[in-house]
Amino acid sequence: MAVIAHDPSRPTQTHAEVTRDVVRTITEAPTRGYYILVGVLAFLTAVLLGTVTMLLKHGLGLAGYAPPIMWSVYITTFVFWVGIGHAGTLISAILFLFRSPWRTAVYRATEAMTVFAVMTAALFPIIHIGRQWIFYWLLPYPNARYLWPNFKSPLLWDVFAISTYLTVSSTFLMVGLVPDIAAVRDHVSGWRKKLYSMLSLGWTGADSQWRHYTRAYLYLAALAAPLVLSVHSVVSWDFAVSIVPGWHGTIFAPYFVAGAIYSGIGMTFTLLIPLRKMLRLEHMITDYHFDNLSKLTLFTGTILFYAYAMEYFVAWYSGSTFEQTTFWRRAFGPNWWAGWSMIICNAFVSQLLWFRKIRVNLTALFVISIFINIGMWFERYVIVVSSLANDYLPNAWGQINPTWADWLILLGSFGWFGLWFTLFYKNFPIVAIQEIKEMIPMPRRKSHGGAH
Amino acid sequence: MADQQAADDVDRRQFLKVLGVTGVGTAALTGCSTDRVAKLVPYMVQDENQVPGIPTVYASTCTECATGCGVHVITREGRAIKLEGNPEHPVNAGTLCSRGQAGLQALYNPDRIGAPLAKNAAGGFDEITWEDAIARLAARLGQAGNRVAAINGYGPSTFSQLLEGMVGQLGGTTVSWQPFAREAESRANQRTFGRDDLPAYDFGVARYIVSFGADFLETWGPTMEQSRGFAASHGFNDGTMARHVYVGPRMNLTGANADEWLDVAAGSEVFVALLLARAAAEAKGSPLAGDLARWTAAEVSARTGIDAARLTRIANEFAAATPSLAVAGGIAAQHRGAIDLCHAVNLANVAAGNLGQTVNFGLGSTPTAGYGAVQGLFARMERGEVAVAIVHEANPLYAMPKSGNFQASFAKVGFKVSTANVMDETAAASDLILPNLHALERWDDSFSRPGVRSLMQPVMTPVRPGMHTGDVLLKVAQALGGSAAANFAEPSFEARLQAAWTVGATGDFPTFWRTSLARGGVFLPAVSSNPTLVDGAAALDPAAPAFDGDAEFTFLPYPSLMYHDGRGANKPWLLENPDPMTKITWQSWAELHPETARRLDVREGEIIELTSPHGAIRAQVYLFHGIREDTIGMPLGLGHTEYGRYAKDRGVNALDLLGAADGQGYLPYVATKVSVTKTPGYRKVAKTEGNPRQLGRGIIEQMPLVYAAQGMTPEQAYKAAGGETHEINPPREREAIDGWYEAQKEGWKLGNYADDATPKWAMAVDLSRCTGCSACVTACYAENNIPTVGEEQIFKGREMSWMRIERYWEGGEDGAPIEARFAPIMCQHCDNAPCEPVCPVYAAYHTPDGLNGQVYNRCVGTRYCSNNCPFKVRYYNWLKYNESAWPEPLNLQLNPEVTVRARGVMEKCTFCVQRIRGAQHKARLEDRPLKDGEIVPACAQACPSKAMTFGNIKDPEAKVVQWSRDPRGYTMLELTNVRPAVTYLAKVVAQEPVVHAADEHGGH
Amino acid sequence: MHKRFLIGLGMVTSVALGALALTSRDTDAQQPAATLPAALTAADSAALKGPKQPIFFRHDIHAGQLKMECQYCHYTAAVSTEPGIPSMQTCMGCHLAVAGKDSTNRAEIQKLRTAWNEGTPVEWVRIHSVARHVRFPHSQHIKALGPNACASCHGNVARMSQVYQVQNVNNMGFCINCHIERNVTRDCTACHY
Repeated sequence: MAVIAHDPSRPTQTHAEVTRDVVRTITEAPTRGYYILVGVLAFLTAVLLGTVTMLLKHGLGLAGYAPPIMWSVYITTFVFWVGIGHAGTLISAILFLFRSPWRTAVYRATEAMTVFAVMTAALFPIIHIGRQWIFYWLLPYPNARYLWPNFKSPLLWDVFAISTYLTVSSTFLMVGLVPDIAAVRDHVSGWRKKLYSMLSLGWTGADSQWRHYTRAYLYLAALAAPLVLSVHSVVSWDFAVSIVPGWHGTIFAPYFVAGAIYSGIGMTFTLLIPLRKMLRLEHMITDYHFDNLSKLTLFTGTILFYAYAMEYFVAWYSGSTFEQTTFWRRAFGPNWWAGWSMIICNAFVSQLLWFRKIRVNLTALFVISIFINIGMWFERYVIVVSSLANDYLPNAWGQINPTWADWLILLGSFGWFGLWFTLFYKNFPIVAIQEIKEMIPMPRRKSHGGAH
Repeated sequence: MADQQAADDVDRRQFLKVLGVTGVGTAALTGCSTDRVAKLVPYMVQDENQVPGIPTVYASTCTECATGCGVHVITREGRAIKLEGNPEHPVNAGTLCSRGQAGLQALYNPDRIGAPLAKNAAGGFDEITWEDAIARLAARLGQAGNRVAAINGYGPSTFSQLLEGMVGQLGGTTVSWQPFAREAESRANQRTFGRDDLPAYDFGVARYIVSFGADFLETWGPTMEQSRGFAASHGFNDGTMARHVYVGPRMNLTGANADEWLDVAAGSEVFVALLLARAAAEAKGSPLAGDLARWTAAEVSARTGIDAARLTRIANEFAAATPSLAVAGGIAAQHRGAIDLCHAVNLANVAAGNLGQTVNFGLGSTPTAGYGAVQGLFARMERGEVAVAIVHEANPLYAMPKSGNFQASFAKVGFKVSTANVMDETAAASDLILPNLHALERWDDSFSRPGVRSLMQPVMTPVRPGMHTGDVLLKVAQALGGSAAANFAEPSFEARLQAAWTVGATGDFPTFWRTSLARGGVFLPAVSSNPTLVDGAAALDPAAPAFDGDAEFTFLPYPSLMYHDGRGANKPWLLENPDPMTKITWQSWAELHPETARRLDVREGEIIELTSPHGAIRAQVYLFHGIREDTIGMPLGLGHTEYGRYAKDRGVNALDLLGAADGQGYLPYVATKVSVTKTPGYRKVAKTEGNPRQLGRGIIEQMPLVYAAQGMTPEQAYKAAGGETHEINPPREREAIDGWYEAQKEGWKLGNYADDATPKWAMAVDLSRCTGCSACVTACYAENNIPTVGEEQIFKGREMSWMRIERYWEGGEDGAPIEARFAPIMCQHCDNAPCEPVCPVYAAYHTPDGLNGQVYNRCVGTRYCSNNCPFKVRYYNWLKYNESAWPEPLNLQLNPEVTVRARGVMEKCTFCVQRIRGAQHKARLEDRPLKDGEIVPACAQACPSKAMTFGNIKDPEAKVVQWSRDPRGYTMLELTNVRPAVTYLAKVVAQEPVVHAADEHGGH
Repeated sequence: MHKRFLIGLGMVTSVALGALALTSRDTDAQQPAATLPAALTAADSAALKGPKQPIFFRHDIHAGQLKMECQYCHYTAAVSTEPGIPSMQTCMGCHLAVAGKDSTNRAEIQKLRTAWNEGTPVEWVRIHSVARHVRFPHSQHIKALGPNACASCHGNVARMSQVYQVQNVNNMGFCINCHIERNVTRDCTACHY
């Protein structure tokens, strides 16, 4: 047998080192920087809650809504956060099913990102409705009035899509954590030990447990995988089933899913690159992983490129003056800046990733990831706002100026998301110990002589 | 709803006690709250006319302008909740304009004065008792001797006779004055016919109408009657319609409803009139032909700069039509040549033989003394010849130009008394304010024209404790004693009124009185007596009118459709209801032609300063193709310095630029040249429209008369005119869509939807009758408790008008004549409504009777319905408008039949479902089927030109079915396949077909 | 609406409403038929179900013993969507003559007469009040269900010494059930507009 070259997908450390390095991220005392970070994020979360209270008190009129633009920043941000989630599930579930080796180092972080992103997104439908205190009317529950929600309404599909997504992805995360928490459990004391013992569900690492566990994990992965496609398709139908020019498109589902994954990986870069440095995980999360992630970004980014082009083409080809006007104004109307920043940040910036140099240059990647985040937020803003701004009756056209109520909620949502994520990575293994270990190559032995 | 005689005030006081008890949700300001009313307060004695929950209707008379339309006051539990036209009244025959309907907001105005006020040393006002107030007035009158004067803005009536009588008794003088008094016309009539009264114009029979700056659909004359007539003649019926030409420097709403607009400079309209006169005289062989011979097309073309061929055409058309009608005398043409203009127009009418046909003397109103007289009175004040001045129903210190220093003259009067019941400019300058009762709270009458004597009766307890000025005068007379006391001895004005009405009473008086009250007055046919021309009247040689200053632009202040002479400025409905031409609310603005603006380098919203020899004002720019490049227009009526929370310091007063000079007995409104300076300031224009062009989307269809006469559909007409277009949906698609639609209907039947017994409500709107006057919009506000949101919210496009008039411009650029198209847009109640499937909670859903229901209390406010509505007729409560829109006591106007919507709820036109259900209940109680026409939505009820009809589309007899089958009928945005229940009948214009550019109708 | 907000999840509400409906129904049954209404005095009214009224008006005497039709006093209910409440004049129509047979009754009727003489209407405590976003046309229901239909919502007042709420008239389920039983309209805009 020829000597096997080092496979970049395989870790270089021993089992012991892996455990040590990961456990260290948890057991080490938090730095002052960490506390400051948590403080800032907590403040932003407070800002979010404060603004929501104002909205409850006075009504949505505080935000910049200007009919006919009945949806704006809140829905934009909702779709933005739902999208973020998708990368996580793709990496943790689909790549797991495809047995692609490089996911192991990054999937825990992305999966956590998924859960928290969906937790953030879930706030927005409630924030954005006019009478938040009766949001539960969207849920089907038996009541004396014989009233049920309207199952024809895409908004109702949305309710189901999001709640399902939240349930499945959080379960998937918790289950994935079990062996690792068990591993950590044995290295900590105090309240953490109690917490971990509880969450590790009495994991001992016995063979029988492993057997059941791997099955369960496989099935959960199989359950989660379709959500990657379904959830954002449903979200896209929030728009696509309408008759609003600019929304009313058959391309929306794939277009949204691609966008979601694209934005998700963007956010993954934004989180992982600093995290890797802070937690000194360079030898676990390597160029190799970023290279692969970048390729995925390039792929989805190119799909977006196509989708954008196709939207404009269809608008022209449809011969419908309404579609044509909408897209003309999208590019050259009052919101041109939003329209172009979306195309540049997504369609063009992603093309830089054709070059390996850039794919492994973390600084470049980080900068690009910021562009991606901005671009994807603007994509949703353009779709939501600039389509509503000019539909059938010119007399009813309108323009919008978001107010503090819009921006503070957007800002606050980052605080809310960040707070959860920050607390998570300091208290849970951000890298999957067990799976890394599985990847560690067995020391090669001579084969037994003789036949069996 | 039967007309009822008013019951005693005592009882009505009791009614007010039960406010909010009877009528669930009467004053409910939180639509979805279940807060309970703690106490039930019974009537002491229940008036047999007052059954809780059943509206009582009183006949009364509108006092919002000089016309004196008859109104029906709809009251519930002792509160007036709506004003509608009195169908029996000859002037308005059941319709009512925005201003009239908004009279309700004068009644419930939150700024009404609640007690007599006396000016104190500090210049403020102290509340005093009525006894004290009357004593003070009597004392002052006693000392004043004959140095008493009164300005009376209230028209011919028993009250005015009382006032004049009393002032006369004291040896003083009374000047009756209203700002838009049409003095120039009466002067001209004096000149041409030797009589100064104003004729009644019959637009209904005229076949060719030429208006010289007379906005007969807006503020000039009895607009309701004229709109009705105009719709009858100019609306398209059985293949014909009258032609309407508007002559003037600015295209106002009346001009926008013309088939042709002649944009002559202010002052040169007269030559066009003379041309018409000559043409008519020659055509009809009138003796005037000789005197008028010199007014050839060439001559007039030279004087007006209008193409001679065009002038000839118009002149010949006018001459050929019988009967025709020429009118003049509007504020928009009230320059120093106004009398000549009206004179020339009289000649044209005489030459065309219109007297007795379309121009009927003896049926019109008698003119008031007018500006000249009131100015003379102020001159006497200036000279200190007036010791006591009484100002009634007038606000001269606002409505007369500041440059006249009337304020100073007024201050020279020893004792100034105002009867205003809101603090207006004149009241603020007075020493004593005796708040008069509102017309709906008092006994009164009005003799608006020969044969028409309208009555007013108290329909409810006064909202604010006031006293009828008539009663005040009688009490003062007693206090004065002597002959005054003897001549004015009636115990109350009511008694005096009845006494006055005994004259000419038929049968026994109580019955006569009762029936008159029920009918709203006594309406006898008057006979027209048409004069002949004064000798030599035809020899008219008008000189170009003089203008103050020699600046570049002619300043054209014009009466606002909503604010009228300024009295509308304190009524939220009128402020929020957009001006139909500009779509601007809550503001005043300066109108510039885009070309002018380009030259001056100003854009919309930029603030310019207009300077005339008499003053300077600043206003933001609005660009308007319908005005001459040498003219700058500005609406009158805003810029109050007093007059309550809504009017105070809002906008600018165009009168500040005018001179007060008067040679001819009227205020020359269009007699000033202004210069424009650009300022760095900017103020967003509070428009309710997005894009003023319909971008060839075929939203408001229009077709030339010739095609309409051939019974073409708009599409056919468009093709006939060479327009290139393709079917909205190719045959195969159409087939598929229809099949799909049938399947839908099957589905509804399964769901106990729309079986053949249940009606299906539908509406039809005839755009060839709609003038865009916006009366329907105000009616909708009044009927459906729609909140007014104010300027700030309108900047964000958050107006709540369930019904809006969409106005689209056609042409205007590169030489094409500017044209306006109007259409009322309300919820179309689509069969295949896009708003319904997207609502997650079934708050928007389809009712069995074909309505697009909106259940406020189920709405959670996702707003998807509005996003998905192609007509954008859904309106959302962004903030707690229900708490801000109706400050006490405005909330008393709320219609108890309609839920007041809370914050966070979507709302929209319901086809007045409360009226539908009400009628259904009534019919069921009486065990009879509904009759067609029994249900009339508020908009259709108010419409002055009866452009809307409503009914059951399944009833073959129904009027709405006949209208919907009209070849002109079409539904908007057909390609969306939403199947609206509203059919629009294409507008018809008496114009030659013009071959369309191919890009037009792109929407198809 | 903020109340709504505070109340929180609707499950709770509907359950609560259901419970309320049940309890109220059986208490109605418990109402002792045996007690001689006349034996009660105004003092007892505090002990009785339902709010204490300024005048201890006895529906059980008027509607019960004297068998007066509801619409004799509440006549507008049959002709109008709004029931209104009887005017003071309506009461005095009888009570000018009828002074009451025992001291307690006389005392209460005296209150009425004083109020009438002073011209100050009696302010009754309201018991039934339908939410402001609901239209309940009384006339239609009486037309459809007959003059004695009142009991189906207001309970058998003929047996109440002091009126109390039997049905929660703001529980939409209560309305709907009746409409389903009789197979009449369930269209939202029949009541909500």
